[in-house]
Amino acid sequence: MIRGVLVDLGRCMGCRSCQVACKAWNDNTNEITVCLGCYDNPPRFSADTWSLIRFDEVAEGDQLHWVFSKLQCMHCEHPGCVAACPVGALEKTPQGPVIYHDERCIGCRYCQVACPFHVPTFQWDRPVPFIRKCTFCADRVSQGIEPACVKACPTDALAFGEREELLVEARKRVLARPEKYVDHIYGEKEAGGTSWLYISPVPFEMLGFIAHGAVKMGFPTLGPERVDKFASVAMSVVPPWILAATATLSGLYWFTKRREKGLQARREAQARKDGQAGHEEEA
Amino acid sequence: MTTAQRRQLPIGTAILGVLILIGLIVAGYRYANGIGAISNLSDGRPWGLWISFDLYCGVALAAGGFVLAATVYLFHLKKYYPIIRSAILTAFLGYLLVVFALLVDLGQPWRIWHALIYWNLHSPLFEVAWCVMLYTAVLALEFSPAVFERLNLQIPIRIIRRIQIPLVVTGVVLSTMHQSSLGSMLLMMPDKLNRLWYTPILPILFLLSAISVGLAMTIVESSLSSRSFGHHVHLDILAGLGRAIPYVLGLYLVVKLGDVLIAGEIGLIFSQGVHSVLWLVEVLGGVVAPIILFSLPRVRQSPRALFWSAVIVVLGLVLNRFNVSWLSLAGRPGIGYAPHWMEFAITVGLLSGGIMVFMLANRYLSIAHHAPAESG
Amino acid sequence: MTNHWCDLQNSDCIMIVGSNAAENHPISFRWVTKAIEQNGAKLISIDPRFTRSSAKADIYCRIRSGADIAFFGGMIKWILDDMAVNPGLYNMTYVTEYTDLSFLVHPDFKTAAENDGKFSGFKPGENPDYGTYDKATWKFQKDAKGIILKDKTLKDPNCVFQLLKKHYARYDPDTVCAITGTDKATFLKVCETYARLTGPAGKSGTIMYAMGTTQHTKGTQNVRVYALLQTLLGNMGVAGGGINALRGESNVQGSTDHGMLFHLLPGYLTPPSAAEQTLKSHLDAKLAGYATADPKSASWWLNYPKYYVSLLKSWYGDNATAANDFGYAWLPKTNPGTNYSHIALFEAMEKGTIKGLFCWGQNPVVGGPNSAQERRALRKLDWMVAVDLWETETCAFWQEPGVNPADIQTEVFLLPAAASYEKEGTISNSGRWSQWRWKAVKPPGDAMPDLEIITELMCKVIEHYQAEGGKAPEPLTKLRWKGWYDAKPLPRGAKSLVDLISREINGWAEAEIKNADGSVLYKAGQLVASFAQLQTDGSTSSSNWLYTQSYNEKDGNRQQWRDNVDHHPAGIATFDKWAWCWPLNRRIIYNRAAVDLDGNPWDPQDFVIKWDKALNDGKGGWVGDVPDGGWAPMNMEGTRYPFIMKPEGHAQFFGPGLADGPFPEHYEPLESPIIHPLSKTQHNPAVKVWRPDEIGTPDEYPIIATTYRVTEHWQAGQMTRNLPWLVELMPQMFVEISEELAAELGVKNADLVTVESKRGRIQAVAVVTKRFKPMRLNGRLVHQIGLPWHWGFQGLCVGDSANLLTPHVGDANTMIPEYKAFLVRVKKGGAA
Repeated sequence: MIRGVLVDLGRCMGCRSCQVACKAWNDNTNEITVCLGCYDNPPRFSADTWSLIRFDEVAEGDQLHWVFSKLQCMHCEHPGCVAACPVGALEKTPQGPVIYHDERCIGCRYCQVACPFHVPTFQWDRPVPFIRKCTFCADRVSQGIEPACVKACPTDALAFGEREELLVEARKRVLARPEKYVDHIYGEKEAGGTSWLYISPVPFEMLGFIAHGAVKMGFPTLGPERVDKFASVAMSVVPPWILAATATLSGLYWFTKRREKGLQARREAQARKDGQAGHEEEA
Repeated sequence: MTTAQRRQLPIGTAILGVLILIGLIVAGYRYANGIGAISNLSDGRPWGLWISFDLYCGVALAAGGFVLAATVYLFHLKKYYPIIRSAILTAFLGYLLVVFALLVDLGQPWRIWHALIYWNLHSPLFEVAWCVMLYTAVLALEFSPAVFERLNLQIPIRIIRRIQIPLVVTGVVLSTMHQSSLGSMLLMMPDKLNRLWYTPILPILFLLSAISVGLAMTIVESSLSSRSFGHHVHLDILAGLGRAIPYVLGLYLVVKLGDVLIAGEIGLIFSQGVHSVLWLVEVLGGVVAPIILFSLPRVRQSPRALFWSAVIVVLGLVLNRFNVSWLSLAGRPGIGYAPHWMEFAITVGLLSGGIMVFMLANRYLSIAHHAPAESG
Repeated sequence: MTNHWCDLQNSDCIMIVGSNAAENHPISFRWVTKAIEQNGAKLISIDPRFTRSSAKADIYCRIRSGADIAFFGGMIKWILDDMAVNPGLYNMTYVTEYTDLSFLVHPDFKTAAENDGKFSGFKPGENPDYGTYDKATWKFQKDAKGIILKDKTLKDPNCVFQLLKKHYARYDPDTVCAITGTDKATFLKVCETYARLTGPAGKSGTIMYAMGTTQHTKGTQNVRVYALLQTLLGNMGVAGGGINALRGESNVQGSTDHGMLFHLLPGYLTPPSAAEQTLKSHLDAKLAGYATADPKSASWWLNYPKYYVSLLKSWYGDNATAANDFGYAWLPKTNPGTNYSHIALFEAMEKGTIKGLFCWGQNPVVGGPNSAQERRALRKLDWMVAVDLWETETCAFWQEPGVNPADIQTEVFLLPAAASYEKEGTISNSGRWSQWRWKAVKPPGDAMPDLEIITELMCKVIEHYQAEGGKAPEPLTKLRWKGWYDAKPLPRGAKSLVDLISREINGWAEAEIKNADGSVLYKAGQLVASFAQLQTDGSTSSSNWLYTQSYNEKDGNRQQWRDNVDHHPAGIATFDKWAWCWPLNRRIIYNRAAVDLDGNPWDPQDFVIKWDKALNDGKGGWVGDVPDGGWAPMNMEGTRYPFIMKPEGHAQFFGPGLADGPFPEHYEPLESPIIHPLSKTQHNPAVKVWRPDEIGTPDEYPIIATTYRVTEHWQAGQMTRNLPWLVELMPQMFVEISEELAAELGVKNADLVTVESKRGRIQAVAVVTKRFKPMRLNGRLVHQIGLPWHWGFQGLCVGDSANLLTPHVGDANTMIPEYKAFLVRVKKGGAA
């Protein structure tokens, strides 16, 4: 059964235990940062930063919200990166995590382009670079343990479990306190559904779009179609196309060759007739 | 060759040589220090000049190879025989440019062959990778007789001649696949590619535009070659190519506009700001104008007019490929990108290398004045 | 805390004031979240700035730094007025029976309302604005037998209730909001919400507070006003109630429990004064304050002598006998009137009075107030011994940028200390839980646990005294120290030094102790089970009477217990078998106030204790938490009043023990932007002003500043600014300013700005935010900014210290510095 995590932005207080737990579990190096005029740091994903908290001051009328959003790979149900990678270096595992196989990658970065959430990062400064992103702690999840970030969270803003059960829990929370949550579970349908689900006190479009000098990272407004919908149709057309095209072109060759031969024969016949006629005239 | 040309070559060659050398040094730096050291690419914009130009444009502009091969060998239009070798050479060098560009752009270029053993049948890029690998081999084989002739090796020539048609058919099929699949690759980004360009039939549009630019590029290359190397290409050949262009571009225009109409997105043409401008320039300038131009007998009778009209088609195609892979393909909001001079150095170095090889081939091999061989 | 962390989840309304719990006590929010989601509790955040805690609150209420008493005085007035109209919505029994509201006060007592901001008995000093109080009128009226006169109808004009009303009559909402800068509608909403959700019997509200409350010149009274509010609403002693200090460090509760503060001995006993030359004189002086004629008042501090003697016995061992006052003569005595607080120490250092300093795990260069003065003071020392994990700004004070080490004559030693995971021992949390911590890794290099450093060090010092003599050697040579802590094997079966000290803290029978019937209760050397068993005759020892029971003969070391099952019959999460708390593992103190006069809980569902008549063969007994005194309920024989530590057993609204008044009265911080309208007494008249020339005025420094902490960094930053993952999160010193102030100054987000006070100047990165807004005070718009104080010049990540700006002035009672409200000016550009 697919696992997921429910991120409750109403409970999150931005303490960043999850961000540091991710660094610690994966032994990722710290980045050299400067204060950007907000609490965000680092401001975006990198090969060393796979999960981070965004701080958003959102004014709704005269009500101020300060919303803290945990961002990381969404571990989509139908990942664009998995469909895109030519060598299958990204894989959606049965438990839910989308994992990366170092040994296959050629560094084409199509996964980065294909991801609607702009998640995968690349080791631009290395002669032997790899793609890096949140692994959903696949090593822990495969042992039935929750990811490091989930374990670290003091307020249980992160809940790990079966995706279907998390959806039920999310709906329950949203319905129980309609004044505290907007009626939308982000990730339920977006891009065909993601394993990481969110509920929020403010509309998702209002998150992540306050620049504060930092790069805008947030919750893109996405439709419910999986991103590889048309690409996979195109790919499925390939085998029949090969047959059809080969047949057509071969037929075309055969047909024009025959016509060519026919024309050639008529020309030769005409030439012979002309030649005979010539002979006849001379005679 | 005239003395004048012989004198001209060294300066040109020298410049090309310098550009190639710079490219090599920059490439060396890249291998030592990573892609980030020589480019302005980033996680927010991981594809840039090399993908847009070297890959997307490179593959399309090399379409002359399969178009001319089909014309000559499958449609049996012998009229175009004299330029087939040049077209094949252009295509072959074009694909080599693509491969060498990838050797710089890929993170781990020594793994460029990985698609052979690691398969993802859902990935358009997997298909492109295989097709490019195979088609480059096909082009090599198709061009090889020119080399074998020079080396006076008859047996390989005869072998190639015998498999000529299957080779051509394979080449054309492979080309239709990967020319369109470069478009299929962009289908993976429905939320990033501007809706003026995003359509499920993007692969078909890619194929049609590739065919038209194959024709145009052949005109351009033939015109340039005839000036540079002094051999004369019959106007009839160029005009014939030119006459086909309006039909292909016309079909392309109908399909493209029809698709926009049916999707009810005709209003987008004027509502997308800078993207609207790009789209209009691309379509009006790169499609409509050439259709008109090539329809005019006046144009088709002037080598100069044919050349420049073909150039417009090429530029239109380049703009189209740039639009869909960069200018109108959204990166992470807030991340800017303009190519680093070293990215240009690589591309220019590769182009210089291609031109250099093309010149050398024309000098030492029998490319032009190619006698019609026995047809298979 | 009167309650404890896990208890927060039982609350019906949580008020976070003078604290940013989500930020600085993030684990507490596990319980706050439970209260909100499972208990339907509302969360109120009262803060000058919209914080991470405010982000989770139902009501955010803006208040200017330094205006707590105005705000809460206003709340008290609101409630007093409401009580008259809606007594049914309050627990009037609690208020009448368990508090001193009915007590009659001396008729000559004047509240600050009647006396222009001062109470009766003020004696001005050299500066007429400051002085001390003669507390002759701060007394209750007593009958001939010495029992306090009461009016249970609360109508007598001299009763505390009426005096309270009179005192806070000036605190109407408009006046309050003019002082605090709060929006009036929000103020009234807070009053109503808190009163309705927590006032009725059976409902509870909790106040979570921290340094935003205490670090003011009236910090003690700030806490008092919360206590008054909570008592008025019947929130003391109940589950989900109480006043709960969120301590600023993980073991500061331990440090105050064990007497690390200058005015305490372990167990909150008092150091003797030089005026008390005999033990008896000291004990008599203390007991006088707790004497009561009321047989129903336990006045538990009357047991003070037992604890004092047991403490002396634990320190001086066999050298302490009845003949020599148990070594009382060897205790250092304080000079009456001398101030020994942190500020006083550094002032004395700068004058050269104090020549040497042990600086133990402390970084005053960054964390002390008026940092420039404290740095100057350190440079005057002859010697300093620093004990720390890193070379901090204080350990290496001569490396301050701009200072020439050649000019400094101090000899500095740095002793490397073991970190908390590199040693064993206890940490006492805010909830009074003493939890054992085990050693996880060996300390690196020569680093040692503090316990070993000090025992070894003092053994050596004692050796020197024994060999060479010297001035007053006996206070050290007579200690049970050398030959005790360095004995091999360790005495009394202790397995390690920390094990020995843990037992010593609990206490032993030093001689055989018999029961009344002659049977043996304890053999000599056995661990005692309760402070009730401590004696005045020297037969017991205990280094801290509060901790007696923590390590006893029957249970062993209860601080090591880790049973995470909630055994409380009402399920209020007392976790009585998880570690051990003082006193006697009582998780919620004053819990006898959680029941009515018959012993039935106000809240039957979430009861703390309840009286079960059937227990003890029909004699009855208490079920639930350890009762705060096992006596029968109030309506039965042998009962005692619930607030057992008070001389009269009642909660004190009228608190004569404090230096600045029996009722909290609003005064402005030392540096204030306004003249407050309540009276002509602008500042707390009982504070000591150290540097009158270093007080900033609003014409030069028009902006209110406050300092605070962030989740990502810790205190003076020596730990967190050396950890790369934390430096990554918050790499630079910053200042939070409102968008309005930024616009006025022409400052953009992430610009460098200079912040300057009368005492110093720093630069910081501007964080322009919606979470600060200018406030209307007395009709005028005033800005407030906020500064984290974690930065200094040493470590992986450096920056200017906010405490270069703060003043050298402290609370009138505790001397805690006023870090939280002072005046600055801000300008664009760095302070190169």
